[in-house]
Amino acid sequence: MVNLDIEKLKSGDPRTLARAITLIESQNPKHRRDSKKILKAVSQVKKSSFRISISGAPGAGKSTLIESLGLHLLEHGHKVAVLTIDPTSPISGGSILGDKIRMEKLSAQPNAFIRPSPTGLHMGGATNRTREAILLCEIAGFDIIMVETVGVGQTEYQVKDMIDAFVLAVSPLSGDSIQGMKKGILELADIVLITKADGTSKNLAEITLNDYKNSMKLIFRKDQWIPPVMAISSVDKTGIPELWISLQHFLAFKQSTGTLEKDRMRQKVIWIQDLCWEAIRERFKPKLESPRMQKKLFKLLSKDTMNPNQIADIILKQIELKR
Amino acid sequence: MSSVDEWKKMAVKEYGSSSVEAMNTLTSEGITLRALYTEEDLHRLPHIHSLPGIEPFMRGPRATMYTKKPWTVRQYAGFSTAEESNAFYRKALANGGQGISVAFDLATHRGYDSDHPRVKGDVGKAGVAIDSVEDMKILFQGIPLDTVSVSMTMNGAVIPVLAMYIVAAEEQGVTPEKLSGTIQNDILKEFMVRNTYIYPPKQSLQLIADIIDYTARHMPKFNSISISGYHMQEAGADSALELAYTLADGREYAKLALARGLSIDAFAPRLSFFFGMGLNFYMEIAKLRAARVLWCEIMSELGAKDPRSKTLRTHCQTSGQSLTEQDPFNNIVRTTIEAMAAIFGGTQSLHTNAFDEAVALPSELSSRIARNTQLILQEETQITKVIDPWGGSYLMETLTNNLIERAKFLMAEVDKAGGMISAIEKGIPKRNIEQAAAQKQARIDKGDDVIVGVNKYCTDAKTTFKILQINNLSVLKKQAKRLKQIKTNRDQKKVEKCLQALASYARSGKGNALSLAIEAVRVRATLGEISDALESVWGRYKAIPSSLNGIYDRIFQHDPVWENSMNRVKKFQNKHGRRPRILLAKMGQDGHDRGIKVVATGLSDAGFDVDLSPLFSMPDEIAKIAIENDVHVVGVSSQAAAHKTLIPELIKILHKKKSGDIKVICGGVIPKQDFAFLKKAGVGLIFGPATPIPTIVEKILDLIE
Repeated sequence: MVNLDIEKLKSGDPRTLARAITLIESQNPKHRRDSKKILKAVSQVKKSSFRISISGAPGAGKSTLIESLGLHLLEHGHKVAVLTIDPTSPISGGSILGDKIRMEKLSAQPNAFIRPSPTGLHMGGATNRTREAILLCEIAGFDIIMVETVGVGQTEYQVKDMIDAFVLAVSPLSGDSIQGMKKGILELADIVLITKADGTSKNLAEITLNDYKNSMKLIFRKDQWIPPVMAISSVDKTGIPELWISLQHFLAFKQSTGTLEKDRMRQKVIWIQDLCWEAIRERFKPKLESPRMQKKLFKLLSKDTMNPNQIADIILKQIELKR
Repeated sequence: MSSVDEWKKMAVKEYGSSSVEAMNTLTSEGITLRALYTEEDLHRLPHIHSLPGIEPFMRGPRATMYTKKPWTVRQYAGFSTAEESNAFYRKALANGGQGISVAFDLATHRGYDSDHPRVKGDVGKAGVAIDSVEDMKILFQGIPLDTVSVSMTMNGAVIPVLAMYIVAAEEQGVTPEKLSGTIQNDILKEFMVRNTYIYPPKQSLQLIADIIDYTARHMPKFNSISISGYHMQEAGADSALELAYTLADGREYAKLALARGLSIDAFAPRLSFFFGMGLNFYMEIAKLRAARVLWCEIMSELGAKDPRSKTLRTHCQTSGQSLTEQDPFNNIVRTTIEAMAAIFGGTQSLHTNAFDEAVALPSELSSRIARNTQLILQEETQITKVIDPWGGSYLMETLTNNLIERAKFLMAEVDKAGGMISAIEKGIPKRNIEQAAAQKQARIDKGDDVIVGVNKYCTDAKTTFKILQINNLSVLKKQAKRLKQIKTNRDQKKVEKCLQALASYARSGKGNALSLAIEAVRVRATLGEISDALESVWGRYKAIPSSLNGIYDRIFQHDPVWENSMNRVKKFQNKHGRRPRILLAKMGQDGHDRGIKVVATGLSDAGFDVDLSPLFSMPDEIAKIAIENDVHVVGVSSQAAAHKTLIPELIKILHKKKSGDIKVICGGVIPKQDFAFLKKAGVGLIFGPATPIPTIVEKILDLIE
């Protein structure tokens, strides 16, 4: 077994939790096997949490929001874990992770655990690794877990499948006005927050608030939940208690209507499917992307007698994945 | 002009190129430096016939310049306790120094008393510790403040420090109107580069307006502000960026005072400037000439009538960033060249750096050489005998004009962003400066920019000399004891009343912070208490971080050394399942983050995952981040001498938390003498200033593999 003390993990030791997350994030095949062992060993532990995602365009004030909300939750006796996903450089694959600079007070609190992860780690198995990290944080006793994603796009759809509440942060009319924002993202949001409702941008925030209130009315949700649209200010320190009340309200709503159970069940199904897809990819990736295969593809293309569709059929036949 | 054509023909032949343009140099300012300038270049230039002391002052702010009185030799100094700094100043004045320039420690800068838990590594280190007016009185003991001018580098805790200076003088029997000198008081550049701020921008500017207002009424001989480009240059800005942003800052302060209802000619003559002087000799001379022209234009636009309002007077300091740890006596030569540029540019006062300042505070020997460098230039050469000796030079006049145009372009960019405050909030100047810094470092690392003794003509010969060591703990003890004494001997009720008045000022904005602080200082309120009274209402400002990448990738494209580094990182990743992960940390009150930003850029370009810590962290906070992020190594950057206290403590905490396998390395301004101590404390690697990124990559991988 791996050099990782499960009891210590359960007791919430930050060092052990941090190393466990490193292990599950590792791309080394041996580490992958080890992490499966750990996940198996903790599968009997039944601990749960309220999982919240915080999404929004860069500069929308997500980190500041997490800092304020996190501190508020600590005051109410919660243990808070934050997972942030940072972009990596397309050239070197390296990254600069500055999340904790913006969550300075929260990151110094003993009952808070913040783990930034570079997206580069997740190629392919992105969502699965985040799910596993959420699970590990729950095992370690964190009862509130926030997932921060940067950018508005693909990741947000994936993150929706692993959390209970989706908070969308929007800065006052800063180019991401509703026209510019993909309507799909609004459909994901369980709560919409207009940030920076202070100082010179206070008026803009009011206007933005009304815009979003109007648009959210047009969105039809199967669960009948009407997503609240609210304004917050980290400068004036307003809106955070109200946000937490709304989040609890939403959780209670999901529990009473049974959608919480249903959603979590559905999320597990997707999780299993994603794991299968990951395995399939891993199995065929080496064959499909090998230098030999590249050479072959070039050769087939250079003959100029077949189109990519026909070539794909031939390749699939060869690697035993008939269409 | 057939003769120029003839020259072109000959030059092309000699140079072995197809055209003379091949001999051009594109400077980092974006200016094309040509190999030859001729009379033809002068024709279009607007200020070519201007004269010294007359608008637009390109050739000098005074009609006589150094012929009547040379520049003031003003050496910046201060360390440990007020007693020791006082002894140093008195000796320097006796040996030819002509004014005092006080360096405060970082605890004082950031508004903390010496006994505050967050400053235990910083007290007395990079300057003198001042907690109360009692310290200030000791600092100026035996120095007549009505005749000796005092310059104070203070930006964060300006209010209590200036108040203490005024009260110390008062108790010496000197009234405010007799005080001469300068307080730096330039907060905008702190938000751009140096990070020694306390309050948010808006409130900080309110304090500056208070000071301009107060000094305009009560201290006619005192410069209320020293608008500084120096720190921008130190942070990596090229001369054009430094010039443009400094003048844009100056314009912002002037507007601020105008908004207060002051008339421009009431305060503008007391605005002074402070520029850095690097090794780009021609460019630096041109910078000062250009600055005067631009300032004259700016002030005229704002309605100034008094010629004194339109003249830019400046202090200069030779570049600390150009000093090297390697082969350090070369620094004496560098400093001399930079000093000459400042003088040819027409500075009003000058600080020359000591050769050991890349690694430590200046010692007695190195300070003497630095001071003598200026005295030799003043008294052994005939440099002072001619006003603006470069005036009329084809090159210099053209370059001055080039810089004016370039600076105007950059200032227009600031205007477009809605003024300097808004540009700072958007991070524009910071980003441009950091980009210039990273590009410069990458060019040095690659060897495109030569630094003798660092990336070319290196020597193995060891140079030994004594350096000044500060016993941080004994300073801390002394200060804590004096604080206790003051607090027991004062009338607590009076103190509280004064502090409440400050807090209510912070809430209402009514009154003048400096007047209120003077009252508080008289009854012995401490620096920390006065800062706190304002902070309790305004809060402590946190800067928005920024980071860059891709710069090393670009400059090092296809460079074999660089590709080798990237390959090693890839190998590491394949073996360990993740990239090497490093937490780059700043601890204590040292806010100089140029170095760490450059290293962050370089390492992430090489493929590392780089975590950045908040500025001003303490060891326990860094340990927590290192553990949660599960980094392989923590890299501590230290520029202000706190390394001996805070780094060992970090290692201790990591071990206590059973995380001793997380390696700790450090870099920055760390004297060789401390290496053994740090190694013994468990530091894995120590990097001097200007270590190339590929070397850092190699050594870190060696360490963590």
